[in-house]
Amino acid sequence: MLLPLLLALRAIPGDPDLVERLRKRDPQALAELYDRYGRQAYALILRVVRDAAIAEDLVQETFLRVWNRVHGLDAERGSIGAWLMTIARNRAIDYLRSAAGRERNSLDVEETNHPSLFCDMEQGILASDKTRRVKAAMEKLSTNQRTAMELAYFEGLSQSEMAERMGQPLGTVKTWVRTALKSLRDELGVAVAP
Amino acid sequence: MNCQELQDYYELFALGAAEEPERTEIRAHLNRNCEVCVPGVQRVLETAAMLGATAPDAVPSRKLRERILASVGVEPRRFSWSPVWAVVAAASLALLLYVGNRQQREKNELYRERAQLLQSLRSANIETARLNEAFAIVNGAETKEASFGGARPTPPRGKVFLNPAQGVLLMAFNLPQTPVGKLYEMWVVPKTGKPVAAGMFQSQPDGSAMHVRPGQVDIQSTGAVAVTVEDQVGADQPTTQPLIVAALDSAPR
Repeated sequence: MLLPLLLALRAIPGDPDLVERLRKRDPQALAELYDRYGRQAYALILRVVRDAAIAEDLVQETFLRVWNRVHGLDAERGSIGAWLMTIARNRAIDYLRSAAGRERNSLDVEETNHPSLFCDMEQGILASDKTRRVKAAMEKLSTNQRTAMELAYFEGLSQSEMAERMGQPLGTVKTWVRTALKSLRDELGVAVAP
Repeated sequence: MNCQELQDYYELFALGAAEEPERTEIRAHLNRNCEVCVPGVQRVLETAAMLGATAPDAVPSRKLRERILASVGVEPRRFSWSPVWAVVAAASLALLLYVGNRQQREKNELYRERAQLLQSLRSANIETARLNEAFAIVNGAETKEASFGGARPTPPRGKVFLNPAQGVLLMAFNLPQTPVGKLYEMWVVPKTGKPVAAGMFQSQPDGSAMHVRPGQVDIQSTGAVAVTVEDQVGADQPTTQPLIVAALDSAPR
C-alpha cells in the first residue's frame, strides 16, 4: 500500500540532469525520457497518423532523433519535453504529407526542430494542469476556429490547404486562424513580446 | 519586415504553416539571433508543445519501450530485486535466465531488424516520391538544363534541370562534406533581383547529391541555379560564396 507513495516521493531528477546524462550517452536516461514523455508523444502522433503501428514506429524515430541530436540542446536551459513533442509532431506531419503525396519541403516543419530554439521555457509545460488549460482554451474557440487550428496542428495544412479542405475562402480561413491564435494567446497568457 | 510586423506570424511559423514572405523573414531574424524574434518564437513553440499534449490519451504497447531501448543497444530489465533477493533469485533462476536472456537477445535482434526494415521501407517510399518528381522534371518537354564544373576535375560537377511546371532538379558530384551544423542550400538566381531559397540538402558519403525543389519556376527570368553552404536552419539570402553556379543562358535543351 505504501509502495505508490514511496515511488511518488522518490526524488525525480529534473530535465537538466536528464539532458546531461543523455548527452553522455547514458541509455538509462533514454529509458527515463521515454517513461516521462513516451505516452504523450505516442498520443500526439497517433492523433495525427491514426494508425497504431505507424505511430509506434514514429515514436521510436522521435526518441532516436533526440538521442542522436541531444548534444545541440542546452543542458541547463533546454526544455527537452517541448523539443521532443515538437519533433514528434513534425515527424508525424512529415509522414502524413509523404503518405498523401503532398510532400512540401520538409524544412517547413524541420526548421522548428532546432534544439537551440528550446531554451528558457517554463518548467513542466506538459504537466496535466497546464494541458488542461490548453484544452479549456481550445474548447472556448468557435467550431470553425477550432477546426482550423486542428487542421494546422494535427494535419499540418497550410492556410490555403485549410481553405480548400473547409470549402471556404482563403481570407475567411485566415481570419479564423488569426482570431483563434489571438484567443489562445489571451487565454493562456502567452503574450508575444512587444 | 520588422519584428513588430512579424509577431502575428510566429505561431504559423511554429506550426510550419507560415507563408511567404513572412516565413523567410522570420527565418532571417532567427538566423541573426534577433533578440525580439528568438524569444518570441520560443514562446510559441512552448505553446505548440502544449497543444500536442491535448491529443486524446492513448497508450502504446509495452513492447515499444523495449524496442526503443533495444535500438540503442540496451537489454530490457524487467525486475528490480533487493540485493539479497537478487542473489537468491539469481541462484535459483540461473538456468532459466540463461535461456531467457538468449531468447530475449534474439527477440531484441528481431525488433532491431524490424525497426530498420520499416525505416528502410519508409525511406524508400519517400525516395520513390522524390525520384518521381525528378523524372517528371527531367522528362518534361519544356525542361531546360545546364551543366556546371565540367571543365574541372575536382570541384563539384553535375547538372541542373528546370521545368516551368515541375520545378528544379540538381544532380551534383564531388561535393565536399559540410562542416558540423551546416547544410547545402540551393538558390534559384533570377537575372535581376535577389536569389530565392530553394531548399536545404545534404550530400551522400560519396559526395553525390540529388535535390528537388518541386513547384513552378519561371525559366525565362532565371539566370542561374547556385548552391552555398549555410547553417542547418537555412538562410534567406546566401551568406557564403557559391560552391556551384549553373548558368542557364548558354544551355538550351
